[in-house]
Amino acid sequence: MATLDLQSITKSFGSAQVLSGIDLAIRDKEFVVFVGPSGCGKSTLLRIIAGLEASTSGRILIDGVDVSAAAPVDRGIAMVFQSYALYPHLSVYENIAFPLRVARLPEPEVKQKVGRAADILQLTEKLPLKPGQLSGGQRQRVAIGRSIVRNPKVFLFDEPLSNLDAALRGEMRVELSALQRDLDATMVYVTHDQIEAMTMAHRIVVLNKGRIEQFGTPMELYHHPATRFVATFIGQPNMNLLPATVVGTGPEGLTVELHGGTRMTLPVDTATARAGDSVEVGIRPESLQLGTGVTMHLRVLERLGGTAIAYGQMADGLKLCAALPGDTTVHEGEDVGLTFAPADAHVFDANGRVMRRRQAPALAA
Amino acid sequence: MIDRLTLVQKVGVYIATFFFLLFILMPFIEMIRVSLRPMSHLMTAKFTWWSEDFSLQAYRDMWKTVPLLGRYIFNSIFVASSVTAITMVVVIPAAYAYARLDFPFKALSLGGFLAVNMFTGAVLLIPLYRVLRSLGMLNTYWAMIIPGVAFLIPTGIWLLRSYLEKIPRELEEAAYVDGASRLYTLRRVVIPLATPGLIVVGTAVFIGAYAQQFLFAITFNNVREIQPLPAGLYEFIGYQDVTWNEMMAAALTGITPVMIVFLFLQKYLVAGLTAGAVKE
Repeated sequence: MATLDLQSITKSFGSAQVLSGIDLAIRDKEFVVFVGPSGCGKSTLLRIIAGLEASTSGRILIDGVDVSAAAPVDRGIAMVFQSYALYPHLSVYENIAFPLRVARLPEPEVKQKVGRAADILQLTEKLPLKPGQLSGGQRQRVAIGRSIVRNPKVFLFDEPLSNLDAALRGEMRVELSALQRDLDATMVYVTHDQIEAMTMAHRIVVLNKGRIEQFGTPMELYHHPATRFVATFIGQPNMNLLPATVVGTGPEGLTVELHGGTRMTLPVDTATARAGDSVEVGIRPESLQLGTGVTMHLRVLERLGGTAIAYGQMADGLKLCAALPGDTTVHEGEDVGLTFAPADAHVFDANGRVMRRRQAPALAA
Repeated sequence: MIDRLTLVQKVGVYIATFFFLLFILMPFIEMIRVSLRPMSHLMTAKFTWWSEDFSLQAYRDMWKTVPLLGRYIFNSIFVASSVTAITMVVVIPAAYAYARLDFPFKALSLGGFLAVNMFTGAVLLIPLYRVLRSLGMLNTYWAMIIPGVAFLIPTGIWLLRSYLEKIPRELEEAAYVDGASRLYTLRRVVIPLATPGLIVVGTAVFIGAYAQQFLFAITFNNVREIQPLPAGLYEFIGYQDVTWNEMMAAALTGITPVMIVFLFLQKYLVAGLTAGAVKE
């Protein structure tokens, strides 16, 4: 059992406010990923949870107990650092055993626990080696080994995969997800990579400029982004945003006029909309199909096999991106017509808040 | 960087190195020459690199001329080693504090240490004499060790601090998260990783201690038995004449043990002075 609650955490360095009013309730055995662009405060938030940094105000509760003033080791957390932070002068065995040595456990117990961790992480043969003799992925596993020997309540990962190459990163993503299930542990994971967030998280926290933009399951964020920022941050390639003007509202939804004069009625909540407002219509590249609607001058076509990503410009210079079927016959340099189903459109008001979609697909639990 | 020197450049480099070393080592060459020749030939003959009359006689005679010579050599090494040991015990935690902790007047006190280094020992001899006298430490080993330690701590802190700053902070944070105290981290993580740096600083302190003991010895000590070698060498200056060859032989013999140790430490010195300069 380990729940983690953050209550109105703020942090400022001098006059610079890094985090403002972070409230978060993480459930037991949940894998939560903090994601956001660099400088959004996600690493600072993790360091505050770890106890490496003090928050300016607010409380941290682990299992309902206020640990805001406790030392990291008393909080029951373990942390894996971006650079692995392995001790180069100690063997893999001693690196994994380090927390146990600090706790002055008797040698047989140390041996048993290190052995078990090495077993889980397939490091048994590497135990006598020094970290310098290991590959990047193995070092990463040693760092994880050091965190699991103490049976912490909450695991904290600070961009653990960013030093690995792409292939290894994909492999470690799968391993980490499996490890989380095997250990039945609560994990908080920081990354700037939205793919890591989407693939591993039970729930994602999107941070921007020290605030939580949205907290939800990956599919919730994908289908119902709460803000323009989340919409463009989650999903690959990024969502297209088309400026539009509200023409009117009705029971079927919001009627807008896109640049170029196309009028569409989009099934979204219209409570906040007024005729004449400027809004942005968000369309994911994968929702665009060939057809008659908007016209795009195709500049580059990336064929990935299964899909082909088309990058181009509209007449008014607006950039557009569409994910077309892999066997599409369009050519670079052509003008192509694109269309989308009104139900797939997201609408954001001038403040970047979403008007909730009415016909979104059912959410995966 | 690929080494691409032409033959001419290589020859040039070696010639330049030769002259540089000759300039640096000339006093040593002269010491060795003098120590190998009989007294009577020293002042008469012209300078030659090699001479027929070279012998090790002075190395045998010096022990009779100055019976306490062995003791002096021991004292020198003992004083310098004690100074080094005490200095390191003080410098390691101090340098670590300056490298990692934040406390009031940090920059000011660090600057103060540098300022202390501007004074040479000679300026402070009289006040030091009074202090040591009132502490009753004149004519003891402490009279040479304590001022030595005091003058070398600032250098040590400055040298070691910059080395410790290069140890990644995340290593210490990882230890802290795992429950290790500052001192445990210092002992199990920082000191082992800083070993090359510690050897560099230790060597610098030892050399400093060896060089400055002469001044303290002749000022604060007149007990023959605890005199270090540089002061003891004065005994080769007799009423009638100076046995230069034996004095040189004794000086060379005195520095030999230290030279041998330094020869073995050499690889650490080079590694330590350049470590961390390039990201690995």
